[in-house]
Amino acid sequence: MAAGERYHDRVAGWLTGFAVLWSLLGMTAGVYIAAELVWPTIDFGQEWLSYGRLRNLHTNAVIFGFGVSALMATAFYSVQRTCHAPLFAPGLAWFVAIAWQAGVLAGGVSLLAGWNGGKEYAELEWPFDIAIAVVWVCFAVVFFGTIARRRIQPIYVSNWFYGALIIVIAMLHIVNSLAIPVTWSKSYSLFAGAQDAVVQWWYGHNAVGFLLTGGFLGMLYYFLPKHADRPIWSYRLSIVAFWAFTYSYIWAGPHHLHYNAVPEWVQSLGMVMSLVLLAPSWATMVNGVMTVAGAWEKLRTDPALKFIVLSLAFYGLATFEGPMMSIKSVNVVSHFTDWTVGHVHSGALGWNALITFGTFYFLVPRLVGAELYSTRLANWHFWLALAGVMLYVLAMWGAGVSQGLLWLSLDEIGELSFSFKDIMASMAPYYALRLVAGVVFLSGAALMAINLWMTVQGRAVVRVAPPPVAEGAV
Amino acid sequence: MAAIRNSLSPWHFAGLMARPSKACDRLAGPAPEVHDVILRVVLPLSIVPPVLAYVGGATFGWRLGGGEPLYIPADGLVLISLAYFVALVTGFVSTALVASWMAGTYGARREFGAHLAFVALVGMPAIVASLAHLAPHAFVNMLLLIPALIWSLYLLYRCLPAALGTSPERGMLMASSLVAYVLVAFVSLLGITVVLWSGGIGPALGV
Ligand code: HEM
Repeated sequence: MAAGERYHDRVAGWLTGFAVLWSLLGMTAGVYIAAELVWPTIDFGQEWLSYGRLRNLHTNAVIFGFGVSALMATAFYSVQRTCHAPLFAPGLAWFVAIAWQAGVLAGGVSLLAGWNGGKEYAELEWPFDIAIAVVWVCFAVVFFGTIARRRIQPIYVSNWFYGALIIVIAMLHIVNSLAIPVTWSKSYSLFAGAQDAVVQWWYGHNAVGFLLTGGFLGMLYYFLPKHADRPIWSYRLSIVAFWAFTYSYIWAGPHHLHYNAVPEWVQSLGMVMSLVLLAPSWATMVNGVMTVAGAWEKLRTDPALKFIVLSLAFYGLATFEGPMMSIKSVNVVSHFTDWTVGHVHSGALGWNALITFGTFYFLVPRLVGAELYSTRLANWHFWLALAGVMLYVLAMWGAGVSQGLLWLSLDEIGELSFSFKDIMASMAPYYALRLVAGVVFLSGAALMAINLWMTVQGRAVVRVAPPPVAEGAV
Repeated sequence: MAAIRNSLSPWHFAGLMARPSKACDRLAGPAPEVHDVILRVVLPLSIVPPVLAYVGGATFGWRLGGGEPLYIPADGLVLISLAYFVALVTGFVSTALVASWMAGTYGARREFGAHLAFVALVGMPAIVASLAHLAPHAFVNMLLLIPALIWSLYLLYRCLPAALGTSPERGMLMASSLVAYVLVAFVSLLGITVVLWSGGIGPALGV
C-alpha cells in the first residue's frame, strides 16, 4: 500500500445524494400519473404533462436516476473495500457520476419534449444512447480497473454481480439501441416486426434481471454481511446461484411475448427458462434470510436491518410471482392487466427501493462518520414503506384479476359480456387506492431524505485508508 | 392467567383480537392440543367466509366492476365456496406448519398447537372482514379487507415474540419471514385459480 493512500468515497457520497433526489422526483412523477388515472384532466391540456410523457419520465427517473445512481454509489464504495484498493482512475469515476446525472436530467427533459424511440425502458433517442454507452464503458473501466489492482486474490461475490450488471447492460443497451438516425430527435430501429419484439424483450427483461435484480443482489451481498457483522451464510451457494442466475436469465425474455407473433417454441422456451429461474432466485433469498437469522441482536441497534429483512420478503414474492405469471395459462389472464403493474411494483418498491433505503441508512452515517440523525424517523419510514407497498400490490391484484376476468367473460351466446371502456371506467376506485399507496410510500421516502440530510449536514466525507495487507496475501 | 387451551372458541378469539395485550398473554401460556384448535377454532372460522360468500353471491351476484353483476349458477357457487373453505383451512394449517418449521431457526417454541392458535388469532381480523362478502362488490370487499390486514399484521408483529416464546428481535425476523410465506401462498392461490379458469373450470372465459 502506498503511504497516505485513501479510498475515494466522496464520489460514492455524491451519487447517493443524487439517488435520493431521483427517488423523490421519480416517485413524484409516479404519484402524478397515478392521479391522472383517477382524474384524467389534470394534464391541463399540456403535452408535457400528459400521461404518455410523464409515464416515461417516471420509469426513466426511478430506474436510471434512482436505481443506477444507487448502484454506482454502492459499487464504487464496495469494490474498494472488497479489493483493499482505492478506485482506479478516480477522475474518471467523477466523470461517470456527473455525466450520468446530466444524462438522466437531459434525457428526462427530452422525454417531456416528446422525443421517444418507442422502446420500453429504452425510450431515449439516439444521441442519448451514444452518451449512455460512453459513460457506461467508463464505468466499466473504473470498476474492472479497481478489480485488476486488488490486493486480495479472491473476487468477492458482490463484485461478480456488479460486474455482470456492467457487462450485460452494455451488451443489451448497445444491441437494442442499434438504429438509423434521421434527425436529432428521431431514429428508426435496425430491427423490425417480430425480430424487433424479441430483441426489445431480450433487452427489457434482462434489464430487470441484471440491473434491478442482479445489480441489487450485488448491493445485498456486500451490505447485508456488513449490517449483520458476519459472513454470508453459505458462500458456495452464493456462487452457484450467481452462475445459475446468469445462465438462465438471458433466455427468459420471450415470456413478455406470449400469444404474440413470435414462434411458439420461443414462447415456450421463455416460459420454461422463467420457471427454472425460481431456483437461483430463491437460493439467494435463503442465503440472505439465514445470514440475518444469525445476527438478530443487530436489530436492536441497527434501524436499517429491518428494511433489508422486508426487502428479502418482497424479493421472494416477486421472484415467485414472475415465473408464475410466465406460465402461459396464467399469462393469458394476467397479461395487459394491472396485475403486471402490481408485480412490477412489488419488486420495485418492495425489493429495489427497500434494500436501497436500508443500505443508505447504513452507508450515509458511515460516510460522514456520524450517527444517523433520527432512529425514530427511520422507524416511521419503515412502517410507511410497508403500508405503501402492501396497499399498492393489493390494489393492483384486485384491479388486475378483475380486468383479466371481465375482459374474457363470455355471455350465453358466446359474445364478450363487457365492453373494454366500461371495465376501465370501473377501475377508478382501485386507481385511487394506488394513489394513496403512492403518497404513503413517497412520504416515507421524504422522511428518509430529511433524515439523511440532517445526518450529513455540515460534515465532510471521512477519509479511510485501505487496511494493510499481509505480505504474500496477494 | 387463563391459558388459551381452556378458552378455544371462535367467540373467544374474536374477543382476544380486540385486546392484543391480553391475547399475547393468553397465547404465551401452555400450548393447546392440536385437534382442539382445529376442531374448535380453525374449522368453525374457515366456514364463515365461504358461507357469507355463497349467500352474497346467490342473492346479489358478484360485481367486479364493468356494469352487470356476474351471476354464477348455484352448483358452481357451491363448488367455489367449498374450494374457498379448503383454501382457508389449508392456509391456516400450512402457515402454522411453516411457522413451526421456522421455530428452530428463530429460537421459538415448537408445539404445533401453539403455532396453530397463534395463526388463527392473526387470521381472525380477515375472517371478521369477510362480513363484506354479504355485499359482493369486489372493491367494497377490498376496502374492508385493508384495515383487517393492517390489524392482522399488527397482531403478527406484536404478539409473535410472546406467543411463540422468542426475543422481540428474532420475533420481528420470524414475522417478516411469515409475511413472505403468506404473500407467496396467496399469489400461488391466485395462480392456481387462474389456471383453472383458463382450463375451462369456473366462469365462462373466451380463452
Ligand atoms: C410512489 C411510488 C410509485 C408510484 C405511485 C408509481 C406509479 C406508477 C404508475 C401509475 C405506473 C404506470 C402504470 C400503468 O401504465 O398502468 C408505473 C409504472 C412503472 N413503475 Fe412506478 N410508481 C412508483 C414507484 C416506482 C419505483 C420506485 C420503481 C422502480 C424502482 C417503479 C418502476 C416502474 C416501472 C418499471 C413501471 C412500468 C411498468 C410496466 O410497464 O408494466 N415505480 N408506476
